[in-house]
Amino acid sequence: MNCLICGSPFQSAPTWKSLILYEIQPNACTRCLIKFQKTDHAIDFSDFQGTVYEGMVDEVTGLYTYNAAMKNYLHQYKFMQDVALSQVFAEQLRHVFNQTEGIIVPIPMHPEKKRIRTFAQVDELLKSAGIPFQHLLTKIATSEQGKKSRKERLEASTLFEVIGKVEAKTYILFDDIYTTGATIHQAGKALKDLGATKVEAITLIKG
Amino acid sequence: MPDQQVTEFLTGRIWLREHAPFPREVIDAHIESGHIHLKPGIDSSQSTFLFWQLNKYVCNRCHNSNQTLFHTFDCARCNKKCVYCRHCIRMNRVSSCSELILWNKEPARGVKLHEFNWSGTLTPLQQKASEELLKSVERNESHLLHAVCGAGKTELLFPAIFASLLEGKRVCVAAPRTDVILELFPRFQKVFPKTVIHALYGGAPDQEGFAQLILSTTHQLYRFEEAFDVVFVDEADAFPYYADETLQRAVVKAAKQGATIHYVTATPTDSLKTTNKSFLSRRYHGHDLPVPMFESLWGYNRRLNKGKVPQKLQEWIEEKQKNNIPFLVFLPTIDMLENFPGDLPRVHAEHPERKEIVMQLREKKIPGLLTTTILERGITIENVHVAVVGAEQKIFTASALIQISGRVGRSFNYPSGDIVFFHHGITHEMDEAKSSIERWNKL
Repeated sequence: MNCLICGSPFQSAPTWKSLILYEIQPNACTRCLIKFQKTDHAIDFSDFQGTVYEGMVDEVTGLYTYNAAMKNYLHQYKFMQDVALSQVFAEQLRHVFNQTEGIIVPIPMHPEKKRIRTFAQVDELLKSAGIPFQHLLTKIATSEQGKKSRKERLEASTLFEVIGKVEAKTYILFDDIYTTGATIHQAGKALKDLGATKVEAITLIKG
Repeated sequence: MPDQQVTEFLTGRIWLREHAPFPREVIDAHIESGHIHLKPGIDSSQSTFLFWQLNKYVCNRCHNSNQTLFHTFDCARCNKKCVYCRHCIRMNRVSSCSELILWNKEPARGVKLHEFNWSGTLTPLQQKASEELLKSVERNESHLLHAVCGAGKTELLFPAIFASLLEGKRVCVAAPRTDVILELFPRFQKVFPKTVIHALYGGAPDQEGFAQLILSTTHQLYRFEEAFDVVFVDEADAFPYYADETLQRAVVKAAKQGATIHYVTATPTDSLKTTNKSFLSRRYHGHDLPVPMFESLWGYNRRLNKGKVPQKLQEWIEEKQKNNIPFLVFLPTIDMLENFPGDLPRVHAEHPERKEIVMQLREKKIPGLLTTTILERGITIENVHVAVVGAEQKIFTASALIQISGRVGRSFNYPSGDIVFFHHGITHEMDEAKSSIERWNKL
C-alpha cells in the first residue's frame, strides 16, 4: 500500500503480534513515522495553581512533540482537510486509550466551524482508532484559541456548555494539541462543576 | 455585461467555487447570467459485482480515477457520506459536495500586438530545427523536438511562440518542475516584452490580466480546461510527468479541442507520438557529449553500511577536491544519501534549502554535493564532474542516466569532464545510456 503522508509505496513487516492479536495496520511508511517525536512524560500544568482552574484537571498526557513533521501533518490534516490522515495515529491512540479507564470526551468544535471544515478533527482521530467516545460538551464561543494569549484565553468567558449527564466518575478529555492548557482546564472545570470525580486529559501533541 | 476581471481570470480555467478570488455575489451573478458553468467536484458511477455495490469515482479537476486516492467520510457540510480526491488536495480539496466553476461564454481574447526582442544567433542545426518546429506549428501538426542535453532548446521555441501570439492564439509552455518555470520566466519576459505572461507553479503569486502566454508546471494545468491553442511540453520525459498519467491527461485537457501539443525532450520515450520530428544531436558549443565511464564498485552497499566510503569512490572525490573541481555524486535512495559517511553537504527533494545549496556549489563555497535524482536535470554548474553510485539500481533508467550525464561539459569554457557510473554489475539501462550518447556524438 501507499503511505498516507508521502504517497510512496511501502510494506509493513509482519509481526507475531499482528498475527495473533488485533493490531491496526500502519497507514504510513516508517520513514515518515520516525519523524514524529514521542514525549512520554506527563505535561506540567502547575501554572494553573492559584487560579480558579486549580485541581480541575488531574493529569495531562501529550503523546508527541510539535516538531516540523507534526506541523506539516496537522496542516495537511486540518487546513487542507485531508480527513484520511486521521488514520495515521490510530494504533498509537488505541494503545494509549486501552491503558486508561474512564469516559472519553473529545473537545468539541463550534458547530459553525465544524461545518466550514466539514469534519471535527478530534472526533475523527478517535473514530479511526475505533475508540468509543461521548459528546458531553458543546462549544459556545466561536473565537479561535490560536490567536489569543494565555491570559486572554483564561479570562475569556466559559468556552463550553455541558450537554448530557455528568456522573461521579472518571472522564478523559481528548484534544489534538495542548498549548497553554486553557481549553483543557475550561473543559475540566465544566465537568467537575457538575460532579465528575476525576478528569484526565490526553492530547496527541504537546505544543 | 460580464466583469472584466472575472472574465480574464476564469477564461480557460476550472476552479473551486468556494476558493474563487472574487466575492460570492459576483460569482453568483455570473452563474445567473450563464457566463459561469458549474460542475460537481467528483463524478461517481455505480456498478454491481455479484452482490457488491462498487462505486467508481473520478475527480473532475485532475481527472484522477485511482480509487485508492479517494477517501470517504461523514461530511459536516452536506451531512452525507462525502468523497474527496487526495490526488490534487494540495490545490484545495475537491469533494463531492464542492462545485467547480468554468467560463462558459464570451471568453477573454488575446491581442495581436506583440514584440519579439531577441538578438541571439542560432547554430545552423538549431536554425534548421527551429524552422521545422515553426512549420509544424503553422500547419497545426504535432512536433517532437529531440535535443541532446545542453543543445540550447529554449531559444528554438521563440519563433514558433511569436508566430502563434501574433495570430491572437493563447500559448502554454509546460514543464514538470517548478525550477524550470522559474528559470524560463525572466527569459520569456525579456524576449516578449509586450506580452502578458503568467508563471504558474505551487505557491506562485497572484498575477493580473489575461495572460496570452502561460508558463506552467504540468501540475497547475489541472486547473485549466480547453484553454490553449498551442501547448509546448518541455522536458516531457521528466519525473513525474512520464510516470503520472493524470499529468499527461491534464495537458490534453488544458488544450482546446483540435489544438496541437508539441514536445521538447532530450530522451524521448516511445509513447510520445507526434506527426513531425526534429533531432538536434549537437550541443550549442559544438563539442561531443561526455561519454560515461563504467567503474566497478563491488559490494558498495555493505561498505557504506559499515560507515566507510568505498576506496575507488573516496579516491575520485579526493581527486576532485584536490584539483578544486566542483562535483556531484548521485545516490539511488534518500536513505543512502542521509547515511553517507563524512560531512559533504547533501540535498534531496524534501530539503528546504535545495536552491541555496546548489547556489553554494556554483559559487564554489562548497567542494561538492551528494544528491538524489532530483538534480538530474535543469541545473547548470560550470565545469562540474559527476559520479553515479549504484548506477545499476532500478531508479537509474537509461533516460535518467542520459540526463545525469548531460550535466557535464555544458559550458563553452569547459566542454568536457568526468562522468563515472560506479556500479555493482552493469545493467541494460547503463549500456543503453552509453551507446545512445556515443551514437549521437557520431551523427
